[in-house]
Amino acid sequence: MGTLFSALSISVGSLEAQQAGLETTTNNLANMNTPGYCRQRPVLEESDPVVQGNLAFGNGVTLAGIESLRDSLLNVQINDETQQQSKSQAFVDTMNQLQPVFPTDTSGIGAAITSFFQSLNGLAANPTDSSLRQSVLSTANALASSFNQAAGQLNSMRSNLDLTVQQNVQQVNRITAEIASLNGQLAKTSSTGRDYGSFLDQRDALVQQLSGLIDVSVMQNGSSLTLTTRQGAALVVDGESFNLTTALNSSDGTQHVYTQGGDITGSISGGKLGAVLEARDQTIPSMLGQLDDLASGLVTNLNAAHKLGYDLNGLQGGNLFNPVTGPGAATNIAVAFSDPNLIAASSDANSGGNGNIANLTAVATQQISNGMTPIQAYGNVVFQVGSAISNANGELTASNNILQQLQQQQQSVSGVSLDEEASNLLLYERAYQAAARAISTVDQMLQTALSMGGST
Amino acid sequence: MRLTPTESTILLNALNAADLAQQKALLQMTTGKRVNLPADDPAAAAMQVQTSDQSSNCDQFLRSISSVSGELQTADSALNSCVTALQRAITLGVQGANGTLSQQDRQALADEVKGISDQILGIANLAYNGHFLFAGTADLQKPYVPDPLTGGITYQGNDQTNQIEVEQGHTVAMNLPGSQLFSAPGADLFQALSTLSDALENGQAVDTATQLVRNAFDQLTSSRVFYGSTISQLESDQTFLQSEKVQLQQNTNDNIGVDMNVAASNLVNAQNARDAALAAAAQSSSLSLLDYLGKN
Repeated sequence: MGTLFSALSISVGSLEAQQAGLETTTNNLANMNTPGYCRQRPVLEESDPVVQGNLAFGNGVTLAGIESLRDSLLNVQINDETQQQSKSQAFVDTMNQLQPVFPTDTSGIGAAITSFFQSLNGLAANPTDSSLRQSVLSTANALASSFNQAAGQLNSMRSNLDLTVQQNVQQVNRITAEIASLNGQLAKTSSTGRDYGSFLDQRDALVQQLSGLIDVSVMQNGSSLTLTTRQGAALVVDGESFNLTTALNSSDGTQHVYTQGGDITGSISGGKLGAVLEARDQTIPSMLGQLDDLASGLVTNLNAAHKLGYDLNGLQGGNLFNPVTGPGAATNIAVAFSDPNLIAASSDANSGGNGNIANLTAVATQQISNGMTPIQAYGNVVFQVGSAISNANGELTASNNILQQLQQQQQSVSGVSLDEEASNLLLYERAYQAAARAISTVDQMLQTALSMGGST
Repeated sequence: MRLTPTESTILLNALNAADLAQQKALLQMTTGKRVNLPADDPAAAAMQVQTSDQSSNCDQFLRSISSVSGELQTADSALNSCVTALQRAITLGVQGANGTLSQQDRQALADEVKGISDQILGIANLAYNGHFLFAGTADLQKPYVPDPLTGGITYQGNDQTNQIEVEQGHTVAMNLPGSQLFSAPGADLFQALSTLSDALENGQAVDTATQLVRNAFDQLTSSRVFYGSTISQLESDQTFLQSEKVQLQQNTNDNIGVDMNVAASNLVNAQNARDAALAAAAQSSSLSLLDYLGKN
């Protein structure tokens, strides 16, 4: 049987429920700009009815909990795309710094090669002229230093990247430790059956940060997340995180990444770390290798040609450049002498001859590496640098678009809408007012009931 | 789909994109180049490396041609005066063959021939830019010097010539050694002149001596053709290189040059897009339902 007191308690329950709704709404409004925040809503349920005979009386509203709205599939997609996007971004950023090392026109290795052969052609016009000889020597030095500079910049970029690897690994460790501790907290709280939205929000944001650094696979395991790299190296299992470590690898002189004793450097494929490792271990070494090939090809061919001739003193020519071959050729290339009279321009002991210049300039059209002339070989390096960057740029644009799309979708699920919150505010306010009015009505009725027996 | 306001991200992205496009168009317009870095167009950049090399080579070949031409012209005009002098010597020889001349007259002719010989010796020892023009490749020392023992003139140069590349794969000889011009075997000019002046002094075998000078003259004039023909060849090479340079410049423009109209309209588009995005952001209502609640 319905009583005035039960009506009163229903109204009081309603007041509580509407207050809780008001609280979630204000919390949503407060966090509308908080990164990673997922909007929350109160879960209101009908209370169990009071059954009397064949009558069932409603028993008001119960606040079952507060839930936050998230789409975990979207989160997974966003994490995946973040790995791709930040990899492309980091790769483009790195390579853009290297681009000026390979100019296409009036400076750099290409122009130095051109100038060197030009000065030889100039010397042919007057092979005994000391200023022309000096000019050949200067352009040869400029050629050597253009290689030295380019190789130097590539090498210093490699050591910078080495530092970045260490820093990124530290960041990864910090984030995985935080995720592990959140896993632990969530495991404790999940036994209470309540939704701890803010912990989940934090953890999701951390996983996304981690995706920016390294390739991550996420597995949901009850309330906790298990994180591994794509290749299966464990990062976080339940409340435990597994630190990555870096150590100098003596074979290639770079920092390698280890986990639990295993070297995973080659298997890290995503995030900033993936890009940095790719640039450090593949792209830059390949560029350096091509420069080394070009430098050692030029040195070998020019030295061979130079030895065919005779210098101004009538003596047979020696090396024009110090002989360098293989790795490090571009770093170490240097002109062998500083006396311009030692340039072997003549093809016999007659100092005025220029017969050997033809042998030297012929190197410009000889195939040096992979069937390419020196200039073609340099052009090929320029092409590869350019296309590596422009491919990464294309991937970056695509990733950015996809990520933006996914984030909008995520916003549409989890984002806070001012309009929605405003109308909820109105709704809870009105319901609260109604409940309060009901209480005062019941109160009046109780007054009436109490005064029924007494004199007025 | 539930919509939530994401204007700020959309606006930011639009502004970023417009800024990038504006920057790119500006860079293109100020440099005049569509390709400023390899990544702008890798294939065009790689091709430009070669075009730039070829174009620079054209410049160098043109410089070499102008330097070699100067040398050839100097040699040619020197040889020209040598030819005139020799013609005079032949005339003197013909005069001297006339039996009616007195000893004194013949001596005068002989002296003039000696003078001509000295003049030609000067020409044969002509230096240009610090090296001797007619010494072959031994050109740091005087090619023709009087021999104190025989009293004749001996050639100290060699028979070599220098070649220079004046177009990709095309070389020309830069010089003729004196041994082909002045002291060719059987046509030694100084020997012939000395024989002639001796013959004039003695009044004997002047005809034979004059014939020797004629032979040397023929040798000189026929060898000398080399200079004229090389000069004219260099001229045509020069024309070719200049037109090739224009062509290469054209290639460069096609390859990495910017179409100013396109760049300018890109710039205007980018600016418009930026303005429009800002204007739209300013226009777009920032009102929400909240603004209408609790007003009364």
